[in-house]
Amino acid sequence: MINVIETGLETSIQDWPGRVGFYNKGFPPSGPLDSWSFRLANILVGNEEGFAALECQFMGPTLKFEQDLVIAITGADMQAKINGQACPLWESFTVYAGQSIEMSYAISGARSYIAFCGGIAAEPTLGSRSTFAAAGVGGLTGNALKIGDVLPVESGHGEAGRRIPLAARPQIEQQLTWEVEAVAGPNDDWIDQQGHDRFLSSDWRVSAKSNRMGMRLEGPDWTFTNKAYDKLPENGSEPANIIDHGYPIGAVNLAGQTPIILLNDGPSMGGFINPYTVPQCALWKLGQARPGETFRFKSISVEEAQLRARQINTLCKGCEVNSVT
Amino acid sequence: MIYDVPKVSPGGDRYLLIEFGNEMNLDLNFKAQGLASALTGEYRINGVIETAPCFATTLVHYDPDLISYSDLKVELLRLFESLGSSEDIEVDSRLFYFPTLYLDPWTTDCINDYRDKINPEKEQDPEFVARINGLSDVRQLVRVHSGTEYWAASLGFWPGLAFMMPLDPRCRLTAPKYNPPRTWTPQGAVSMGGMSTAIYPVPSPGGYQLFGRTPVPIWDPQKKFPEFEGDLCIFRPGDRIKYVPCSKEEYLEIERQVTEGSFKFNIVDYQRFSVGNYQRWIASLDLKSRF
Repeated sequence: MINVIETGLETSIQDWPGRVGFYNKGFPPSGPLDSWSFRLANILVGNEEGFAALECQFMGPTLKFEQDLVIAITGADMQAKINGQACPLWESFTVYAGQSIEMSYAISGARSYIAFCGGIAAEPTLGSRSTFAAAGVGGLTGNALKIGDVLPVESGHGEAGRRIPLAARPQIEQQLTWEVEAVAGPNDDWIDQQGHDRFLSSDWRVSAKSNRMGMRLEGPDWTFTNKAYDKLPENGSEPANIIDHGYPIGAVNLAGQTPIILLNDGPSMGGFINPYTVPQCALWKLGQARPGETFRFKSISVEEAQLRARQINTLCKGCEVNSVT
Repeated sequence: MIYDVPKVSPGGDRYLLIEFGNEMNLDLNFKAQGLASALTGEYRINGVIETAPCFATTLVHYDPDLISYSDLKVELLRLFESLGSSEDIEVDSRLFYFPTLYLDPWTTDCINDYRDKINPEKEQDPEFVARINGLSDVRQLVRVHSGTEYWAASLGFWPGLAFMMPLDPRCRLTAPKYNPPRTWTPQGAVSMGGMSTAIYPVPSPGGYQLFGRTPVPIWDPQKKFPEFEGDLCIFRPGDRIKYVPCSKEEYLEIERQVTEGSFKFNIVDYQRFSVGNYQRWIASLDLKSRF
């Protein structure tokens, strides 16, 4: 068991791929924003890649261990220490009963993942342990961790001293401008040519008003085709309004003039157009980008996006985990 | 307009959106639900993970390792064609009775709070909805709103939140959303925005016009009632809902039963909804009349 001494900033239990299969009831999938780092953390401690683990955001927690346990931390560097001694990243290690891990603020990236050998044994809701705090579902109590929470851990078989090779990790460190892949559609025909050119050639600044529901971007205004104006009133009054429709995860959702990329806890439907969608292979970047950093979007085809997702799967699944020695 | 051939577009590498037309029209929703229900029933396509039908679209979530975008597009259009016209669509449809206190004190407080703090010009919602729909007064609003079954066209935005359309065209109403939106709304508020009616599953901000409240829960993560066992929400697409006007005394009694856990949901579950029968029925109506 693990005691939560300090919570960090909305540290939550997540599993992968999350609460899939209830989108037509309005449940988003939840799950880790950077599923690449998340899966690697589980692989390091000998778990299946989707087991429940912790997602830490910007500021990590302090956890006190009541048992010896093999764990691994991946993703953002939140300066984890045991007794003042730095813990490794991307490497499994043993924490002994009575020891505490103290994490601080992220010096690179935005989200760290802590996987525990055996996985966190929270009760699943609708097939998933992922926390969807907005509706009070999943995790231990439907919310982010609280001081005094006790995390139960399943038993498992993991080894300390395993490391993910550099080539298999997402490149998180010190990215100030991110190249983010985007696939045109479903509503790309609502944006005129200048609008597309502007989207793909401008710097988009990540707003501080971003969270697990959506990442808000600041940049130039959008311009539209006739479709945005010549429409029936039930579409709504603004050019970016459309009859409510389902939202893909990763959709670049145009709320008036502000693009909000819908993330794992986002709304399943609504009345704004989605001219582009960020595919699976680039979603980890949204999980690791920090407010004030900038995005440059690169348009790729559906097939190219699927190929890149497969490459990440191969890196995770076929990852030759090295021994540190 | 209703498209001759549905428009198919990608939503990244794992989603595909099928658009059946670009207007608010129950026929489009029947197509969207007909396709979604075929995909989860007898015409499963390998690689389709889940679907989310909305008013005029169906979103399909798929696994690109099992089916390519172009193959899925071909298969979906072929399946859609094989389903025939919307007249041939039949779907399982439960009917729910929801006791509702129209013109209740709680949504009235909420509207007054908005008038005090945000917009003193805001007309009382029931009067406003009655006026812009050409109804004589709020009593007629209650009559018209409760005079039809509603069709759960789509669920989403929030778990269990159903967007409902009136099945009787003589009870159609429209209402613009609040601008700016409210900061709070009581749970169970019965409301309208655009052409849809919705019940607020939890206390939340919102923009729909308010004119009633139901004591019956539609969302319950504690699963206090067996109706929430499957997925914590009461509705699914294709359900029908009838609002039954009740008195304040009845409201409070039902609320007490809900708190105590003894409340019994009134759900009729043996019917299939036939779009053909429905269309023949509305063709026989005088659409200009109101209740």
